[in-house]
Amino acid sequence: MTLVIETSGLTKRYRKVTALNDCTITVPEGRISALIGPNGAGKTTLLRLLAGLSRPTAGQLSVNGGTPRQDPAFLADIGYLGQEIPLYRRLSAEDHIRAGAHLNPRWDSALVRERLTGLKIPRDRAVGKLSGGQRAQVALALVLAKQPRLLLLDEPVAALDPLARRNFLGVLADAVALGNLTVVMSSHLIADLERVCDHLIMVASSRVQLCGDIEELLDEHRVLTGPSKDITAIERSQRVVQATRTPRQTTLLVRLNGPVIDPAFQVSEVSLEELALAYLGEEVPPASAPARLTPVTPGGTTPPYPPEPSAVFGDDR
Amino acid sequence: MTWLVWRQHRVQYLVGAALLAAFAVMIVVTGTQVSDQFHSAQAACAAGQPCQHLGGLFMGSRVVGFLVIATLGTPVLVGLFWGAPLVAAEAEAGTTQFAWMQSVTRKRWLAVKIGWMLLAAVIWGGVISALVTWWASPTNAEQLNQFDPGRFDIMGIVPVGYSVFAVALGVTAGALLRRTLPALAVTLAGFIAARVVITLWLRSHYISAVTTTYNVLGNFTPKGAYWQFASGVLGPNGQQLPQPNNTQYFDNIPQAYLPRACSEVTGPNGGNPTPACVQALSHFHAYLTYQPGDRFWAFQGIETAIFVVLAAALIAVTAVTLLRRDA
Amino acid sequence: MTWLVWRQYRLQFVLGAALLAAFAVLIVITGVQAANQWHAAQAACAASHGCQNLFLGSHAVGFLVISTLGAPVLVGLFWGAPLVAAESEVGTTHFAWMQSVTRKRWLAVKVGWMLLAAVVWGGVITALVTWWEGPNNAQQLDAFNTGRFDITGIVPVAYSVFALALGIAAGALLRRVLPAMAVTLAGFIVVRGVIAFWLRHHYLSPVTVYHSVIRSFTPPGSYWSLASGVLFPNGQPIDQNTNGNVLDGVPVNYLPASCNQVSRGAFTPPPSCTQALAHFRGFLTYQPADRFWTFQGIETGIFLFLAAVLIAVTAVTLLRRDA
Repeated sequence: MTLVIETSGLTKRYRKVTALNDCTITVPEGRISALIGPNGAGKTTLLRLLAGLSRPTAGQLSVNGGTPRQDPAFLADIGYLGQEIPLYRRLSAEDHIRAGAHLNPRWDSALVRERLTGLKIPRDRAVGKLSGGQRAQVALALVLAKQPRLLLLDEPVAALDPLARRNFLGVLADAVALGNLTVVMSSHLIADLERVCDHLIMVASSRVQLCGDIEELLDEHRVLTGPSKDITAIERSQRVVQATRTPRQTTLLVRLNGPVIDPAFQVSEVSLEELALAYLGEEVPPASAPARLTPVTPGGTTPPYPPEPSAVFGDDR
Repeated sequence: MTWLVWRQHRVQYLVGAALLAAFAVMIVVTGTQVSDQFHSAQAACAAGQPCQHLGGLFMGSRVVGFLVIATLGTPVLVGLFWGAPLVAAEAEAGTTQFAWMQSVTRKRWLAVKIGWMLLAAVIWGGVISALVTWWASPTNAEQLNQFDPGRFDIMGIVPVGYSVFAVALGVTAGALLRRTLPALAVTLAGFIAARVVITLWLRSHYISAVTTTYNVLGNFTPKGAYWQFASGVLGPNGQQLPQPNNTQYFDNIPQAYLPRACSEVTGPNGGNPTPACVQALSHFHAYLTYQPGDRFWAFQGIETAIFVVLAAALIAVTAVTLLRRDA
Repeated sequence: MTWLVWRQYRLQFVLGAALLAAFAVLIVITGVQAANQWHAAQAACAASHGCQNLFLGSHAVGFLVISTLGAPVLVGLFWGAPLVAAESEVGTTHFAWMQSVTRKRWLAVKVGWMLLAAVVWGGVITALVTWWEGPNNAQQLDAFNTGRFDITGIVPVAYSVFALALGIAAGALLRRVLPAMAVTLAGFIVVRGVIAFWLRHHYLSPVTVYHSVIRSFTPPGSYWSLASGVLFPNGQPIDQNTNGNVLDGVPVNYLPASCNQVSRGAFTPPPSCTQALAHFRGFLTYQPADRFWTFQGIETGIFLFLAAVLIAVTAVTLLRRDA
């Protein structure tokens, strides 16, 4: 399995502020990786380092088999779209298409035009006069037209309506399925990411908290629910990520270090959102873990909401 | 990349071309009139009519004359409106990110953008200078003052050097400051400072000036359009005599310093000096320090080279800044 | 609102103040030197009845003084054009206009302070320049001439206010800073050129005086010479640009032979020559020196009026337009 991205100890400091600290990640080819983390965690910094827009203060990184450098061949293989959607406000979408055709060795103008026509976005109007969502669509179409090997997207769907979001994510998934494309995209909307992503990079407080295939990560974590009591035994045998205690109940999210032997605790699987919230420091609401593959807890209490069919992993792949 | 440069900056180039065209029309129309006036005056002079000093000829309309002097400022315009926004506007809007994430290296992006801008600056400076030099040629032939500061600056090839320098200064200011308005202010101030320092202090030293001494009773005017630095009179023991500002003088010698033999001679040109006076005055020497007229083009070349070297240094700074910096 | 204006523009105001201070230091130092020089020269001059032309003050500072012709347009470019345009480009007008301040008040406070700044800018510079030029003006009596008129007195204040208003209006209409600056620069040059080279001649009808060609006529004080020459007996002006020898401005082919021996200054002409010369008249069309301040006032009024119109245009544009 080739690694499209490989970093080791990657650090970026701006004068007194450390934006990214000792980041070590790998992203295999063909993945759609979700880059999640709170605001200011370092997601944008990481993406910019990977794109070669910034230079690291320390550490190594390898992207598409080489260090990010000023080389047309290297640049042609990377697509990057920043949060602020940097397009020339006074030029039209058509101008951008022509510019891209001039500036890139591989360029699919027809693809962009088709896509924009399908979305009913006028190609001859100055981009600055389009709505925020339309601008985002133009930028996304342009970045796809470049046909890169690696796509780095910073909050790409933030400005899109729900339908457009789903449509775009579908397009991404199709492109990846065709082969030769890896995607790393940052977003706050974990539900969307769950739909298409199979790899996860979680960043918080300028550090990487998790990095790996989502299936594996979820498999490594469990939610343990049990009576309020001393949990030191559990803490010794497993890695507790987050513990929530109420007078009646203790909920633990643990990273498994071996099978859970304590019979007092119910074991259930973890959703991506719960995992994210736990690592990012939020409280995991006690009754919100939807039972998926394990039976309903004794006492007959049903989960508060039915699990969505498509949320069951494995169906959409 | 060239297509993108044109598409981004075409309004600027078109406006510049329109201004050049308008200026050219005005200059050519009035210049032909001036030239005709001059040639007919010259012909009348050659035909035997006593020649009036043509310096009194009113050459060219006052407005165009003012406009010609105002071309002192045209180089800085391209620095302000073409140079400063080149990088700064893109930095402010963030669009450098778009360009730099296409498959074109920053080096190439910068090279193509700056290359075309410099070419445009050369055309701007060159066309204006050619028009002004042609327009002023009758006046130059008549008054022989093209070496003087103020006229030297608007003719020949130096305006090309100034324009290139102004654009380079603007681009560098924009690249360093990353904001258009401060870059504009810095470009304006820097251009004025550089031009003033070089014109008022450096230019007189390009080549050592020539000093010629001659008899006070005689006259010495160098050939052609020379650039006068200083003139005066040296006394018998070589001391510099003060300029006769308000006192009586004879042949530029203040009355207080005249030899006794010349005491009856009064007034600037009054009377004929006696032989004894002439004899006494032979110990005085008048001098003129100047740059000969045939050095005009050497000075033009040197000053153009200075500004081009400055421009090159500035562009090197821009390149290093942009290629090293985070986007 | 005033606090916001200060916070937004404090860098520009501070820079402007710094430039003024530097200029003031330069002018005061060299001006004092020049004044001393002049007083000394005047004393010597008066003693020996032969004042020559003096150049007072260093060349560099003299150049700087002339270049204050351009100082008014600077406030138009750097303070005026970005005032509205920069906010339009970035969209921060929305921020201001969605606070609890009406657009009218926003505009009034911003423009008001900027106008005050322009008045201070123009006023300080012209005060310094007028003082510095004092000796030169007394010496050359050229204060009324085009070029010197524009940098002394009160007109520079009006030019600065006008340039500022032009910049603001351009920025409000074009909504982009660089085009607004280009329009401001071009507009300022055109308006100043038209008014200085054409309109100014007609504020008040000039005075024409006829005089004998033998004796020249020089009005007192700093008058503004508009035209001068010599007339034929029938009133036609003599073309000053023709070739040939002239005596007192009259071509010798119109004069009797007795005038041919006359060389400039040294000999008195014979009676026949004087008689012939009496048929010719010299004329001088000029604006008398005592009209200097009237002209300054009229020109100031014109530019202030233009500025008011531009500000009205700005107000109407901004208050009517969608944000």
